[in-house]
Amino acid sequence: MNGRSFFHDKIIGILLMIFVLVTIEIFLIPYQYGIFIKIYIPISILLFYIVTLTIEYFTKKQYYNNFEDTLNELEDKYLISEIVKEPDFTEGKILRDSLEKINKSMIENVNQYKYTQEDYKDYIELWIHEIKIPITASKMIIENNKNEVTKSINEELNKVENYVEQALYYARSNTVEKDYYVKKVRLKDIVNESVKKNRSILINEKVSINIHDIELEVNTDNKWIVFILSQIIQNSIKYKKQAINLEIEMYGKACKENVILYIKDNGIGIKKGEITRVFEKGFTGTNGRIIGKKSTGIGLYLCKNLCNKLGIAIELNSQQDEGTEIRLVFPKGSFINLN
Amino acid sequence: MHKILIVEDDKKLRGELEIFLNNNGYEAESLTKFDNTINEILSINPSLVLLDINLPNVDGEYICKEVRKQSSIGIIIVTSRDNELDELVSINYGADHYITKPFNIHILLAKINSLLRRTNSNIVKDKIDAKDFILNISNSTIIKNDKVIELTKNEYKVLRYLLENRGKIISREEIMDCLWESESFIDDNTLSVNITRLRNKLEELGIKEIIETRRGQGYMLKGE
Repeated sequence: MNGRSFFHDKIIGILLMIFVLVTIEIFLIPYQYGIFIKIYIPISILLFYIVTLTIEYFTKKQYYNNFEDTLNELEDKYLISEIVKEPDFTEGKILRDSLEKINKSMIENVNQYKYTQEDYKDYIELWIHEIKIPITASKMIIENNKNEVTKSINEELNKVENYVEQALYYARSNTVEKDYYVKKVRLKDIVNESVKKNRSILINEKVSINIHDIELEVNTDNKWIVFILSQIIQNSIKYKKQAINLEIEMYGKACKENVILYIKDNGIGIKKGEITRVFEKGFTGTNGRIIGKKSTGIGLYLCKNLCNKLGIAIELNSQQDEGTEIRLVFPKGSFINLN
Repeated sequence: MHKILIVEDDKKLRGELEIFLNNNGYEAESLTKFDNTINEILSINPSLVLLDINLPNVDGEYICKEVRKQSSIGIIIVTSRDNELDELVSINYGADHYITKPFNIHILLAKINSLLRRTNSNIVKDKIDAKDFILNISNSTIIKNDKVIELTKNEYKVLRYLLENRGKIISREEIMDCLWESESFIDDNTLSVNITRLRNKLEELGIKEIIETRRGQGYMLKGE
């Protein structure tokens, strides 16, 4: 608020005041009053008016400028009505009360969505726990009736299991901080666990695994990182070359401020222009359109999302027809910023 | 024979588990009602209990705690809850292992084996007498007529696995699965090399053609 805008708002009042003063002067002309009275009356009215305007101007200016400054500094702007002080003029009171009411109703509205979403997430978790029982039972039936047919069903069941797991982690990805347990883990353990977890498909696809230089320690959450590594391994299998056996190389490297885990494969690689987009949600790219690949565009997006929450940097490098290299950069030190 | 009690409310799953455990040389039994679980477990007194957490009327973690107060039998929790808090609570209440569904059946079997071996430590042997030769578990060697040959880690695991499944045809995938389980991520070619070396070592002891190759199916340790 400045003088000009205030003047602009008051222009009608000021014009009316000038009109009234001129009218009074005209009325006074026929009467034989002294020149003193003729000047005194309009001047005193004018002075009175100017003083009133000035007081109003400064009160409002102080309040609204303070209001604006607070609003600019505030990160969560909707909290303004809680912070700004009670004004002593009607207009300001109306503004503040209205803001308070609007906020309240908006918060209720937002909360409704929050509860719906949380409810949905709880349902998904519950559903996933339920679905795991028939999957387990099916696997037991297969185990008790081993033959070519059940072996093939088992492979499909493993895919179902992976998709179910992906859904679970997706549902949880927004609330990592609630289900999060950082401790010192050996790189070797998490790498071995993720390979073991996927061993039936890895053995089936005759993948050769080369793990070396892995005796390092990082601070992270075991479960989440194994899930991320699993997604990366499953991607390598999905995008392997048809003609040759897939090789996956995994190794660690300790740097000054971080520990880097490399996961390299000799798969079909990623087109140059698409590398920067592979972490986008729903991005499937040229590889995704190859018949039979069935890309969902969720796997790497989820990895990136989870890595962000775990404070791990995920980087990808690829040469088309040569292979893909993924680097997971773990910060040294135990401080991880959860947000 | 070790008795294993299955406490699981999914009918199909416990039925199949029972079949599987019976096929693998255990005497499996399962509870069908869960009103008086703790006392039933104690009166059946099995060597080991496979315990689900989500049971009708009662919480598996509570059962685990109560059973542990009165008995030292092996308890393996088998559940679909996969958060670390449940795992922590279960282990604190005295469970020996915590396995999440869907589990790998071979991992479950390995955990059962190791747990039973520990809880019945008096019957642990460090040598397996395979008639044709003796397999020494403690230093992975094979012995025949005072002649001792050392095996590498992988050769030992392959031989032991074949020995445990003697007379059965074991596919290459199964052998690899067993090796991968113990974190030797070998590929197809390496397995062939390992088998050849193992055969050579057995031949050095004068045991010929004991590992039979079945084309397209796998390997079999002859005898029994």
